[in-house]
Amino acid sequence: MATLEIKDLHVEVEDKDKKSKKKILKGVNLSLKTGEIHAIMGPNGTGKSTLSETIMGNPRYHVTQGDILLNNESIVEMPVDERARKGLFLAMQYPAEVPGVTNAEFLRAAINACRPKDDPISVMTFLNELDKNLDLLDMNEAMTERYLNEGFSGGEKKRNEILQMLMIKPSFGILDEIDSGLDIDALRVVSRGVNAMRGDKFGALMITHYQRLLDYIVPDVVHVMMDGRVVKDGGPDLAKKLEQEGYAGLRDELGLDIKLVDEN
Amino acid sequence: MLTKENLLNFSHKNNESSWLTDLRIKSFERLEELDYPKMQRFSYQDWPLIKKEDFSWSNQADFSLKEEQKLLEKKGIILTDIFTASKKYPELVQSTLGSVIKHNEDKLTAYHYAYLNSGLFLYIPKDIILTEPITISLSPTQDTYISHLLIVADNNSKVKFLEEIQDKEKKASSASLMVELIARPGSHIEFSSLDELSQDTTLYFNRRAKIEKDAHVEWAIAFMNDCNTLGDLDSELVGEGSFADSKAIAVTTANQKVGINNRVTNRGPHSTGLINQRGVLLENSRLIFNGIGQIVHGAHGSKADQQNRVLMMSDEAHGDANPLLLIDENDVIAAHAASVGPVDKVQMNYLMSRGIPYDQAQRLVIRGFLGAVLDAIPNKDVRRKMIDILERKLIDGQIKH
Ligand SMILES: Nc1ncnc2c1ncn2[C@@H]1O[C@H](COP(=O)(O)OP(=O)(O)O)[C@@H](O)[C@H]1O
Ligand SMILES: [Mg+2]
Repeated sequence: MATLEIKDLHVEVEDKDKKSKKKILKGVNLSLKTGEIHAIMGPNGTGKSTLSETIMGNPRYHVTQGDILLNNESIVEMPVDERARKGLFLAMQYPAEVPGVTNAEFLRAAINACRPKDDPISVMTFLNELDKNLDLLDMNEAMTERYLNEGFSGGEKKRNEILQMLMIKPSFGILDEIDSGLDIDALRVVSRGVNAMRGDKFGALMITHYQRLLDYIVPDVVHVMMDGRVVKDGGPDLAKKLEQEGYAGLRDELGLDIKLVDEN
Repeated sequence: MLTKENLLNFSHKNNESSWLTDLRIKSFERLEELDYPKMQRFSYQDWPLIKKEDFSWSNQADFSLKEEQKLLEKKGIILTDIFTASKKYPELVQSTLGSVIKHNEDKLTAYHYAYLNSGLFLYIPKDIILTEPITISLSPTQDTYISHLLIVADNNSKVKFLEEIQDKEKKASSASLMVELIARPGSHIEFSSLDELSQDTTLYFNRRAKIEKDAHVEWAIAFMNDCNTLGDLDSELVGEGSFADSKAIAVTTANQKVGINNRVTNRGPHSTGLINQRGVLLENSRLIFNGIGQIVHGAHGSKADQQNRVLMMSDEAHGDANPLLLIDENDVIAAHAASVGPVDKVQMNYLMSRGIPYDQAQRLVIRGFLGAVLDAIPNKDVRRKMIDILERKLIDGQIKH
């Protein structure tokens, strides 16, 4: 069993234009195990993407306090590639486009990065896995020879993120708004991919703004984030309740003094 | 000292056409008085591009043809070394050789035509459409290597030409490489080149296309040499509705100095000239990429666009991406973009977030940065070769972490 613990995490980001620092996360606590699916919900601008990018190790985000432990080992000082090789995966909200590098070549490089240098994945094994996963995600084989995310539609990018996750087989997948911009059919397909990974070797942290995704990938635990903190934990019911009452309702119920971005 | 007697002596030994000898003498007579071509912010006058003393040379082919290339003759296509061509097709070669790049433009063109000793002639007759690219591998024939490629695409013909230039077996102390492309009305030429000369040589090149009415020329040049390099890549859009897309990439390493002018001149109305240059600088190297887009008076309705971008991989490297737009006509569209910067951080973070180590991620991002030329090379093996050379250069020159 693998574990991922976020302890009292405080994160700042440097504002490019203003050259000032902005506090985004203000003490996040979370604890995940493989075999579990957690959902994080929260209004826009709350710090959900910041949390996922920080766990993964994007150098733009600075941890000022607290810790992140992967299997009881602190990873806050580790570069992003090392975290990935230790079993973390982030399906990004806005995946980058990398021309000149085909999807297939990239996938193979990513898989081999986790293996010993003298033992790369065999071509047969790789192609078999790839075929199986392309099928699962209703993806066209031609996608693999296209340049990484280049010219992909929003939906294609999301599928491609899940394809990578299926191929790389991380212990923890962090999925940042994997549902945004997807129609119902695409959402079904993407969920099928995530559900296929469910099992005692995989844990997930699903970040979403909407409850809808959680009908397809039913979480074990739901956390609600507001203003850089987790303000409430619960089961799948919590998500349903939020859907009805809205974030403002929960805020008022908890007596929090927070202005929501989407509020007029 | 270089003497006319010596030049004549070797010309006669080569038993060449008299008009060719005349061209040599005419060029030689201008050599002394002409100046070196100017390159902004780049000095190279102390490079050994011109021999100071008489030397021996001989006319030789710097390539060999494959069996299937010999069969092209059946379609009326001429593909042979330039000396054989000058004897077998004197009118055709005499009227075209030196018509795009003149012998008396500067010291380096004069020297080239005076001591020319290798090269190729390709003629594609009217309406002939070749789908398969013609791939030629060139290598130095002698210590002073002066090679001339002359390609004539007659009306409405179409050809893809790919050259590879390497000196693995025989090295030259200096190389002067010229290409003249003549794209007659309605023709279509795609010219790509993978240059990989070693650091033992010093390279001057001059590659120029004359593009007539509705003709279309695309350059895709990969400067992957290890040597000091100076030269011009040039497109003359003389015909109405003509089109040029001039793509060039360069990767510089060690103490290498490279200065390249990429020039497109719109002369014909409704002509389109595009420039796309990408450079990657490693270690102590210096690279100047001048993109020169000129629209002359009368070229109304024309379009010029250029992108010049260089990546600095080392604090010790010096790179310039200079866009120059010279416009003498009102009714035109012209744009440019230039940048000098580091490797894209967002792409780096993405690749690394999948476990790919920093150095490898960097090489992949750089490959994408150079993709425009890479993709234009019409042969999978040559593309693979270019990627391998790129990998080697980057691995050798990458800063260790
Ligand atoms: N790289 C960044 N640079 C500057 N501000 C940022 C950056 N990332 C996030 N922020 C700011 O931090 C806050 C939280 O953003 P984010 O983590 O994207 O929230 P969420 O994903 O919950 O919508 C927002 O106010 C956002 O503008
Ligand atoms: Mg977000």
